Order: sequence, then structure tokens, then C-alpha cells
Amino acid sequence: MHQGAWLLWALSGGLVAITTTNPFYLLPLLGVAWVVHAACGRTGPQARSFRIFLIFGALTICTRTALVLLLPDIQWGNIVEAAMEGLRLAVLLTVFGAYNTVSDPFGVLRLSPRRWHEPALAASLALSIAPRTIAAVSTVREAQRLRGIEVRRWRSLPALAVPVLETGMEEAVVLAESMDARGHGRGRRTRYRPERWGRQATVVAIASLFAVLVAGAALFGDDPSLALPAWPIAWPEVSPVMLGAIVALSVPAWFAAGDPSRATQ
Amino acid sequence: MTSVHFERVSFTYPDANERVLDDVTLRIAEGSFVLVTGDTGAGKSTFIRAINGLVPHFTGGEYSGSVTLRGDTIRNTLDNAPRDLADLVAFVPQDPSAAFVVDRVEDEIAYSLENLGVERTVMRRRVEETLDALNIVGLRERSVRTLSGGERQRVAIAAALAPGPRILLLDEPTSQLDPQGAEDVLAALQRLVHDLGITVVLAEHRLERVAGFVDLAVGMRRGETVIIGDPAQVLEQLSSGPPVARLGRLVGWSSPPLTVRDARRRAQRLILAAPSQDESVAGSPVLTASGLRAGYGRHLVLSDIDVSLVEGEIVALMGRNGAGKTTLLRCLTGLHAPQSGTVEVRGEAPVAGHNVALCPQRPESLLFAETVAAEVEATLNAVGSQASATAVLDALGIMELRDRHPRDLSAGQRLLVAIASVVATDAPVLLLDEPTRGLDQESKTRLVRFLRSWASSGRTVMLATHDVELAAQVATRVVMIATGEVIAHGRSGDVLGDSPVFAPQMARVFGPGWLTPEQVAAAVTS
Repeated sequence: MHQGAWLLWALSGGLVAITTTNPFYLLPLLGVAWVVHAACGRTGPQARSFRIFLIFGALTICTRTALVLLLPDIQWGNIVEAAMEGLRLAVLLTVFGAYNTVSDPFGVLRLSPRRWHEPALAASLALSIAPRTIAAVSTVREAQRLRGIEVRRWRSLPALAVPVLETGMEEAVVLAESMDARGHGRGRRTRYRPERWGRQATVVAIASLFAVLVAGAALFGDDPSLALPAWPIAWPEVSPVMLGAIVALSVPAWFAAGDPSRATQ
Repeated sequence: MTSVHFERVSFTYPDANERVLDDVTLRIAEGSFVLVTGDTGAGKSTFIRAINGLVPHFTGGEYSGSVTLRGDTIRNTLDNAPRDLADLVAFVPQDPSAAFVVDRVEDEIAYSLENLGVERTVMRRRVEETLDALNIVGLRERSVRTLSGGERQRVAIAAALAPGPRILLLDEPTSQLDPQGAEDVLAALQRLVHDLGITVVLAEHRLERVAGFVDLAVGMRRGETVIIGDPAQVLEQLSSGPPVARLGRLVGWSSPPLTVRDARRRAQRLILAAPSQDESVAGSPVLTASGLRAGYGRHLVLSDIDVSLVEGEIVALMGRNGAGKTTLLRCLTGLHAPQSGTVEVRGEAPVAGHNVALCPQRPESLLFAETVAAEVEATLNAVGSQASATAVLDALGIMELRDRHPRDLSAGQRLLVAIASVVATDAPVLLLDEPTRGLDQESKTRLVRFLRSWASSGRTVMLATHDVELAAQVATRVVMIATGEVIAHGRSGDVLGDSPVFAPQMARVFGPGWLTPEQVAAAVTS
């Protein structure tokens, strides 16, 4: 699918996530991100990076909640509010994690207008660093285990960090050298085969825009269902339109399920 | 016509005291197939990078002299950065997987063309032509991350060739390839030289593969003048060369041969006794694997493998890229859980770092300490050993490196340090995964000496390797695998001598059973 459609999908999912603290919106959105990752994600280090984003998400919820516990005379309302804010960030991270596994960071680069090429390049390199580092961490851990060094305690951290950083640096230099030697940044650039914007991309884009519009309308219309009532704690309302808009964001997964070329992989 | 002209080029890396290139003056004629050879640290990579301007534009450092390139236009590397020369000279680094910029093979090949601003219609045609030239049409839709070593190298060369450069530079293009894959890549390069008149310059350690292809050699040795000329003469001056050349020197031929064909012609005059065969090692079994089935997800890599290693033997594990060598080693160390089958080391389950140790493909993933000695001590501390680092370093013959920083060493030396830090576990079984990248002649000699003494002290070594000559030199037994099954195993002479692809040069000249020049020279009766 066209990289632009994926970008829209991710932006839309992220925007919806930050408008709400209602778990009945956030949890379905989390599910949508997971389903899309499972159906459309590529295998390899990227797949592992999704798990890392999930872990970071869980950590956000914990730290956000734990911070509140430090406050003087806290009440249940504070804790619930903090937990929901943590959940919101966690869902945002998960959507980004799913986007990371389904998209090609350098595909995004090719979408960028010519004058934005340099910043876009920096951005795509940054996007590709997470999966590369994760792959390096597991290689190095394994290598150290084979000589009897278990990287568990702080003391043995250099055994992990030094090789990971060093190989990362070396690879970055090789990549930069190779890009320079292959004429990167010479000025006028042409494009080989612009990606085709197909029917699926249109459908995904429509679903994404719909979700953004619904969430925006709810935000500016002061829809009470967006926030979980914390004072006192109560069941939140749920707007069927908003829920529908969130579920609609899972369309990429439906396409992948109906695509026989993926089923055989 | 001169294609590359070095004129009094000197270069010192930033923060280094010694010059890597010292007053180099030479000319390379258009359409030459050039081998750059010499020990690591002699400046081969620097020399190659000086041709397209990565030295000094990318590296910084102290540079004087000039390199002039001639294609449709004449340009020098001082006024032109590498990107300005990209249409004239292309570069393939040692590890192509780190150099891929985009994800799909086809897009990767188009990447340089896009940068050069080639029109889309022309670009379409060039991509197709390049896919055909390197015979990789079937890979066009694949992600570069999923390719095997040989495929990756061919894609990298295709990506470099797409813009139609007049000069192609390659840094150890075959070091990670199996014999057939290496042969294919070299044959493809030779076709480019013959058909298109491209100048190809490649740095390589394993001379037995390239010596027959090249028509010019650049010889480099630390602290000495760079020499250029006929490959036979240059290698003679460096006293290096493929095994046939070593044989020539041993039996006193004037101007040693470079190819098997040469050697065969001259060997007709030699009269040999029957090949001496090493007795196969008959110790007690140390490691036994039976009925191994293993893979990743639904993808099965090993289908049914039985391997048994006995005390005191050195086993070479060979097979194509992607045959399952690394997976097998990972199973033997207990890192990868097989779907079925068992692995036992003296009746116990394998425990990495305890009863079995493995040196990974990239030594860089191990090394973290400030000095070589500290690197080995880190292992000794981790396994609670009382032994001294000195003894381990001594065994590998790298005592003089003890206070050096591992990062400052050559690739070959780094590999030896990585092996030392693995050997320090004192596990009875030592596994090595392709210990050949960047391994120059000197480091290889040390490695061979160490492996022999390690095995003779009753330990067991298994090394996965593509280096046929190394296997011929050091292995007491060869296990050959293909598509996840053992297809041949037995004494090196029997298994290697028989194979058209894996036969070492001596077997190609004198027939099965002959492995090393030393063995042949000892059998010469007149």
C-alpha cells in the first residue's frame, strides 16, 4: 500500500489517541493497532520493535501512575486520571510502533518534496535506528552469553552497550559513505517509480480522515464521552460514532487478510 | 588510456602518526582488472577509497598529491567530492548489508540513478539491464534484509553498476561468499571488464579465487613502497600468492604459477609418492547431536542432522550460503532450541560458555574492554576461572597485543582477540562461525597454529567456513551440509578432493587426496 496512506493512518490513530482518556475508546484503538501490526507488519527486527514499543507503553502507564502516588493526600480520582493519561500515551506509542512495523522508513523519504529531502532523510534514518539497535542488542547479548557473560546486572552493562554502540557507529559510517559514493545530495533528483495510489490506499485514507473528523468534532463539541469521569469515578459514556470511527481504522488489516499473496508467506 | 592516475599521493589519518599512503605514484590503464593485495593495515581500503575521493573528503586527515580519473571527462578527487564522481566511479564496501539505503532490491538499484537525476524512461531501461547483467531478475521484489550473502553481494554490485560507471571499486567482495557464489561474482566482474571495458579494482585476501582473473596487481606492505605490475611478479615480491604459488616456491619452480591450469602444466614433471593421509582422529565422543530438526517459525532450516564430534579433532562445517551452518552451530550451543532431536555434550545438555563456546561471525559483537588483556580477563572472571590471561594470549600468539585497544587492531587481529576471549571459557568444545572475514595471511597462520595445538590438547573444534584452503590446511574431518541435511562427511581428503566446487587447489592439480602444498612438497621424489 502507498506509504502516504500509512502515514495518514498513523497520524489519524495518534490524533484520536491524544483526544481522549476514555478507556472504552483507547482500548479498542490499542486492539486496532495490534491487529494491523499482526496482519500487515513485516517480519524481522521490525516485528521485535513492536514488542519494545508495547513494553515502553506499559512502562509509561506505570510511571505516570507511580508519580501520582508521591503526591500528598491523593485520592482515587488522581490515580485513575493519571492511569488514563498513561494509557493515552501508551496507545499513542503502540500506534507509532505498529506504523514502524508496517511502513518502510525509506519509503516515507521518497514521498517528501525535493526541498525537504535532507530533513526527511534524517527522519527516516532516525526511524530505522530503533529496529537496527534492537537487532544489535540481541546479537550482542547472545555473543556475550557464549563466553559466559550474562548481561543482567549493571556491572556487565558495558559488555552490552559498548559493542552495540560501536557497531551502530560503524554501520552508520558505512551507510553515510555509501550514500555519498552513490551520489546522494547531488542536486536534481528524479524518481524511479512513484508509488501507485490504489483503491486500498483511498479507503484507508477515507477511514483515517473520518476518524480525525469525528474525534475533532467531539473535541470541539465538548463531547463528555472523551474523558473518563474521575470526580467521582463513573462509567464513561460511549458514542457509537466515535467507536465506529476507531474500529474503521483497522481496514488495512482487512485488506491484508483478503490478500492471497500475504497468506502464503 | 590511463583510467586512474595517482601522482605522489600521501595520506595520514587524523590522530595517526604514520602515513598509510606514502608518496604513491601509479597508473591503471582503462579496462584493467586490478587486484589490491597486502596484509591488513597496509592500506588496501585506504587506497581504494582514495580513488573515489572518500579519502580525504570523508575521512579528513592529511593529504597531498592528486588522483586523476578519466572517463568522458577528466576529474580529480580533490576538487570533486565522492558524490560528484558518482557517475564515473562506483564503490561496493565490504559489508554491503550495512550500505543498503532502501528496502526493495529494485529500488536499491535505482537509488544512484535517482540521485544522478536520470530520466525515468532511461532509468527503467537501466534497471532492467542491470538486473539481467547480474542475473538477479528473480530478486527484484525482495527486501534486501531477506537476501543471502551471495545475493546481497550481487545486488550491491548491481546497485553500483546501474549508473554505468567507468571504474568499479570493491572491498573484499567475496569474503562472505561460498566458493560457487564467489566464482559467480568474479565471473560477472570479468564479463564487465571484457564486454564494457570497465576498470575493476578489488581488494582481496583470498588470492586462490582472484589470481586467475586479474591482469594487474597492486602490492602493499606496511612501511614499504607500493608496487604495481604483473600479478605473478607482484605476488612473488610480496612472497604471497595462492597455494599453487606456495607450492612453486616449495619445489623451486622459477616464477611460481598463479592458476591451477598453470600449475597442472608444470606439475607433469613432478613425480610424487602416494599422498600421505592423516589417520582419522579416534578419540572418545564429546558432542553428539542426533535427529536435529530446527528452523524459524514455519521455515525449516535443518531437517534431520546427526553430528558427532570426538576429542582432538578439528571439523570443518561447509556448505552453501544459507545451507544452515549458523543454525546448526546455534543448536549445538543450546542458543537455538531445535524442534526435535537432542544435543549432548558428554552426556549433559549444552550450556553456552560452560561446556561449549562459540565465536560469532562478527568479532565486533564481543569486544568491549579497554585492552586486549582485559577482554580475556572479562571472560575469565565471568566463568570464575583462575587461569591467567597471559596463557590464553600466548596460545593464540598475540602476546604483543595485550595492552592495545581492541578497536585499534586490524580485522584479522580483532578476530584472534575475539577467539581468545571465547577460548578463555576453557570449554571442551570450541565452535567458530566463519572466522575468515578480513583474515590476512599472517593472522591465518596464527589461527591455524592455535587450532592445531588446541585440538592436540584433547579439545574439539568445529569451524563453519567457506575457505576451502583453510579447511584443507587445518581440518581433520569435513562435514558438508546442504538444504538442512548432511550430504557428505569424512576425512578432508576424501570429501573435499571429490567435490568440483569445494576442492582445494592441490586436489585440482594432483587429484583427490592432496590438500596442501606442504603435503605435496614432502611427497616429491624427484
